[in-house]
Amino acid sequence: MTGLDAATRGALGELLLAMADDEFVLGFWDSEWTGIAPILEEDVAMSSVSQDEIGHAKALYEMLAMLTGDDADRIAFGRRPDAYRHAALMNHPRTDWAFTIARRYLYETADAVRLESLAGSSHEPLANLAIKMRREETYHLLHFDLWLRRLTEGGSESRDRLISALQELWTDAQAVFAPLVAEANLLTTGILAESMETLRQRWLARITPRFAELGLPAMPGAPQPHADGRSLHGADFSWLHGEFTMVADSEPRASW
Amino acid sequence: MGVKDKVWEVFRQEAEGDPMIHGGSVRAPDEELATHYAREFYGRRQESERLWIVARDAITELSDPDLLKPPFDRSFKRPGGFLIKHKLETARQRAGVSDAPSQEDLSE
Repeated sequence: MTGLDAATRGALGELLLAMADDEFVLGFWDSEWTGIAPILEEDVAMSSVSQDEIGHAKALYEMLAMLTGDDADRIAFGRRPDAYRHAALMNHPRTDWAFTIARRYLYETADAVRLESLAGSSHEPLANLAIKMRREETYHLLHFDLWLRRLTEGGSESRDRLISALQELWTDAQAVFAPLVAEANLLTTGILAESMETLRQRWLARITPRFAELGLPAMPGAPQPHADGRSLHGADFSWLHGEFTMVADSEPRASW
Repeated sequence: MGVKDKVWEVFRQEAEGDPMIHGGSVRAPDEELATHYAREFYGRRQESERLWIVARDAITELSDPDLLKPPFDRSFKRPGGFLIKHKLETARQRAGVSDAPSQEDLSE
């Protein structure tokens, strides 16, 4: 990580934290299905996919910890809720199965666009990690596209629940591509090959035809997200934060 | 279990070239979801090189004891059914080889 100046290290740190928090918080929300998913097989699948996300978060937190001389566990569990930088999409609770699938579909497709672009990052460790994560996300994409389709074809109740969840999450989903404070630096240095807004447009161009193909209604036009799409969280996330920090907080100096 | 669920038998290969061995089964409404669940149950720990996912109702089963376990002595149909230990000894003597019989010969 040497060779980067202080400003660039800060910018890279902001990007890594945003991505890590996305994966970490979503992994925790969806691991709440463990034991209560609609069918046994899906229970195992959902728990496994959620663990994958925590694994990706771990890799990103470790890269960040190396960059800043911090500790990955401290970054993951040692922050107050307002210091997390996940997108607003991840502020919502688990809710019902259709809601979970709607969020996962929106997130997985957005994450795929982000990782594809990062595979071309000038920062080699990040490019390599993105390539590695993409291989695992291939299955996630297939799995949640499959569920999206199933819920649209599963009768009026599943279809209606899915549509209302997509509509409720639509604006907050844009925040996965909220501009980063130090984005100009990331673009100049090539750590980001393309701007968040370029990526967002690519994501929209990819999922809009899929919705049409499945007979889902067109989503409303979504304006470019504001930077606070990653800094404002709310009560549901505070509750989840209390859950996932509970064990670490019970004995702060314990080693694992 | 949903009304439309089927049972799928999953076979796994641990390493390239190994035989496919029955791992267990999953329930799923169709091949696509069965493939996902087989991956989760029999491959998520990187323990499999390859999986075969077969609808249980596509399997032709044979379990008739009259065909598989007929009552007469069938030992002559097994390779070990022919006792050749003594024939081997005789052959060795004739050839003038005095080596002790191998483990393989003894197992006959």
